[in-house]
Amino acid sequence: MLGALALIPILIAIAIRVSGGASAGRGPAFLDQITGNGLFVGMTALVVATPLFLPLTIGVVAGDSIAGEASLGTLRYLLVAPAGRIRLLVVKYVVAAVFCAAAALTVVVVGSLIGWALFPIGPVTTLSGGQLTVGEGLLRFLAIGAYVTVSMLGLSAIGLFLSTMTTVPVGAMAATAIIAVAAQIAGALPQLEWLHPWLFTDRWLDFADLLRSPPLWDSFGANALLQFAYIVVFGALAALRFTTKDVLS
Amino acid sequence: MSAAVDSADLAIETHGLTKRFRTQVAVDGIDLAVPRGAVYGFLGPNGSGKTTTIRMLLGLVGATAGSARVLGDEMPRRLDAVLPRVGALVEGPAFSPYLSGEQNLRRFDAADRHAPSRTRDARVAAALDRVGLSHAARKKAHAYSLGMKQRLGLANALLMPRELLVLDEPTNGLDPQGTREVRALVRSLAADGTTVFVSSHLLAEVEQLCTHVGVMSAGRLVTQGTLEEFRSTGEERVEVLTADPGAARAVLVRLGLVVDGVAGTAGLETLLASAPRPAQGAGADDAALVTARLSGDSPAPDAIVAALVRDGVRVRGFAVRRTSLEQRFVELTGEGFDVVA
Amino acid sequence: MSPRTPGPTRRSVRILIPAIGVPVAVALAVIVPMQANAAVDLPDKTVEQLLQFARSSDVSALSGTIEQRSELGLPDLSGLTGAGGAMGGSSSGGGTGGTDAAASAGLDELLALATGSYDARVYLDGEHARLQVLDRMAERNVYLSPTEAWYVDSETQAATHLTLPEGTDVEQLKADAQAEAQRLADEAKAEAEARLPDGQSLPTPQEVLDQALARLDETTAVSVGTDGRVAGREAYELVLEPRTSDTLVGEIRVAIDGENGAALAASITARGASDPAYSIGYSEVSFQAPDASVFAFEPADGMTVTEQVAPISTADEIAQWKADAQAKADAAEGATVPDVPQPIVHGEGWTTVVELDAQAAMAALGEQAAAEGDSTGSGEGSGSGDAAASAEQAAEASAMLETLTQPVDGGRVLQTSLLTVLFTDDGRVFAGSVPVATLLDVATAGS
Repeated sequence: MLGALALIPILIAIAIRVSGGASAGRGPAFLDQITGNGLFVGMTALVVATPLFLPLTIGVVAGDSIAGEASLGTLRYLLVAPAGRIRLLVVKYVVAAVFCAAAALTVVVVGSLIGWALFPIGPVTTLSGGQLTVGEGLLRFLAIGAYVTVSMLGLSAIGLFLSTMTTVPVGAMAATAIIAVAAQIAGALPQLEWLHPWLFTDRWLDFADLLRSPPLWDSFGANALLQFAYIVVFGALAALRFTTKDVLS
Repeated sequence: MSAAVDSADLAIETHGLTKRFRTQVAVDGIDLAVPRGAVYGFLGPNGSGKTTTIRMLLGLVGATAGSARVLGDEMPRRLDAVLPRVGALVEGPAFSPYLSGEQNLRRFDAADRHAPSRTRDARVAAALDRVGLSHAARKKAHAYSLGMKQRLGLANALLMPRELLVLDEPTNGLDPQGTREVRALVRSLAADGTTVFVSSHLLAEVEQLCTHVGVMSAGRLVTQGTLEEFRSTGEERVEVLTADPGAARAVLVRLGLVVDGVAGTAGLETLLASAPRPAQGAGADDAALVTARLSGDSPAPDAIVAALVRDGVRVRGFAVRRTSLEQRFVELTGEGFDVVA
Repeated sequence: MSPRTPGPTRRSVRILIPAIGVPVAVALAVIVPMQANAAVDLPDKTVEQLLQFARSSDVSALSGTIEQRSELGLPDLSGLTGAGGAMGGSSSGGGTGGTDAAASAGLDELLALATGSYDARVYLDGEHARLQVLDRMAERNVYLSPTEAWYVDSETQAATHLTLPEGTDVEQLKADAQAEAQRLADEAKAEAEARLPDGQSLPTPQEVLDQALARLDETTAVSVGTDGRVAGREAYELVLEPRTSDTLVGEIRVAIDGENGAALAASITARGASDPAYSIGYSEVSFQAPDASVFAFEPADGMTVTEQVAPISTADEIAQWKADAQAKADAAEGATVPDVPQPIVHGEGWTTVVELDAQAAMAALGEQAAAEGDSTGSGEGSGSGDAAASAEQAAEASAMLETLTQPVDGGRVLQTSLLTVLFTDDGRVFAGSVPVATLLDVATAGS
């Protein structure tokens, strides 16, 4: 799955390399920057991957966490080991969270590497129009990777909860991915504006705030708080569901 | 029918244990008593509630009513203290297909907080060796045959020294050789003092392995006790093949036996049909079979024969017949039996 | 592993905890950053005292986040302004000839900034200022310093650099401006004193304020609202309510910092509505001078930079320019053919209606656009393309207008929550913060 994620920046870099650069203001954000600075391949890939591809892989990992064990039948052996139900949930969530970080880092690191291989690299232009040294720029990219990781934690908790609801892992995976897409659709409808601050997807694309000068950390904090609320809520629901669940598979 | 046993000596003890799934009652108020050191055969047709009971004992399923104590501690409240001392094989083995047998065992062992990681390598190797899977330790689990998986499941149950083994259908899918090996394994474990709770729908298995038996039928525990008690609670009958049925009956009545009659009931006929005939003389045509139920204060069988002969009854054949386990089982559960071993 | 004790009480507690905890946790995460109003009790002030207090505010350094929310009841107009923006962007590449185009691009930008919803950071340190409009994945910036200004748009990767003419002595300019201001003030004072009857001096600022309030009071009820909290600061609230019910405006509220008198927020609510149609305010503010680095700007490589020299000149030139303007205005007064028709104002106060001869205005604007196209063309050699493009845009714009407006007796009307615009069939345009009926009345009376 990480390999599939790594394909995104590679595809973008090769496409730009073969067909030439994009003009400013067209295509996904940062696309036009790539020919000038290969480091932006990672950023463009994140912009492309965050709305759909990343949530999809998170959905697979989180949705499979409990339901996958249940469908294999290994869940009952883990529980009689005894793993402890809460402990098992926590371990599964930590695994999903680590995957979130690995996924975001894969996109950023592979993007930066392929960009470095195919394009010139140089100082990183911020959204404000100023420039950062390559080192500073890479640090910012890492911070953005961290931002995207945090963004996916709420979804992971939702996936974990859904995974405790079923013994069919595909169902939990699909439901998680559908919720991620539905939340973004709701977030795009102005009629539902009252709902927007409550959506876990609301600040997914605000990671560009870290590419301003000065970097704006407010959205990082607000996003972390929002994701934390989702972790608490769906973590509690998952724990409630899982500790009272009859394991029949 | 079993003698009251002190709770402290029970490895498993339940009172009114009940599980209801929506409207269907899977387990209906059962009172299990499994003495420590016993090999307890948990017998019952498929769907009689055996697996649900085992899941309740292991804390996988919450009881609707009643209580359960395993190794002296209440389940599932003291699950963390109980389960490390229990090895289990529940409703068939299950593994991650893309991990090797060894990796699967390590994974389950790591899930047990009480299992020291320091000795993990040695314990995994020993468990694999014990079930004879050392040669296939590095093979992916999906490449295992059903029998190998069953043995790997047993190895998982043996990763730690256990006080109680709960084995749900342990010989399922094994060939005759594998079945013998598993039985030998269970016997050797029992010899070490481990309590074994083994569920089966195979009468022969229980008969060969167990010291104690409990029979489930439609969610109820219809009987439990030692294998001997279970056998003896079946009626003992004397069968007399004789040309003088009237005289024979008179003698038997005099000796205090309840005589069924010559014609016998339908059930009796079945019994006779399935039982081998006692020694038969040449002129058996005019002979009739007189059967009578033995009770506790009846004279010994040899005394009965002597009395018959003394009274001039021409005894052509004589047998003391105990109800077979199978017959008992059919009587108790009212169901047919899967006798394929 | 938590114990599982079956039983209704236990179960209901388990359900209750998340049932309450879920909304509370999310609400905390969402609402806490919004800074809900807590009870605030500042020393009471009368309207006069509050206005005086606000006037005397001398905040010159701050950094904060501004939130503007506009719900005028219209679809997003960015399609209309966006087209203009793109045009402006392309022509600004044309060099010095693009001044007007850049100005019109700026106008579009300003319109978007004035009517849209956005978040922005504001930095002031007395000398420099920066407005950083935070768009998603993009940013618009205005940097101002005493000697130069930058407008930077990350989406088009374009920067406009406005500088003073070479050799301008900033200090001298400042001094000139101050001297000019002083001279004007003195002149005005002298003029005012000359008009006053003998023995009376000029009113004090307090008296001026009182008079202004008295005039305001004729049309508007001004009051001090409840103290509240804005951007985490305790603030007074000034409430203005039109005395007439013939306007769409329900009330205007202004939040004034309780400590230093700076305006922190303002909102306009339509009559009968519960939520403001337009609001602007700080969501976070600090009155410390921001770090000097936030004002520094150096355009990145690959950015299109347009250099412009500010048409600011010496006091003499300003005087000359003023004289020209005065002459032009004088000429216009008696002229038969005005350059651009002047709007006619009907009524006063809250129910003012402005009338404009749209056809004439369109014609004038069209000429201007043509001139613009020429000037761009000379720079880029693509004037005809631009002209075609602008014709297309005009068609698009009229189609858009068609969808935005509704037909009424005698024309079409554009209705927003705070403003009504009537396009009559005979080509006149009436606009005002009044109901449609009022506009129709004015239109019939005027024709």
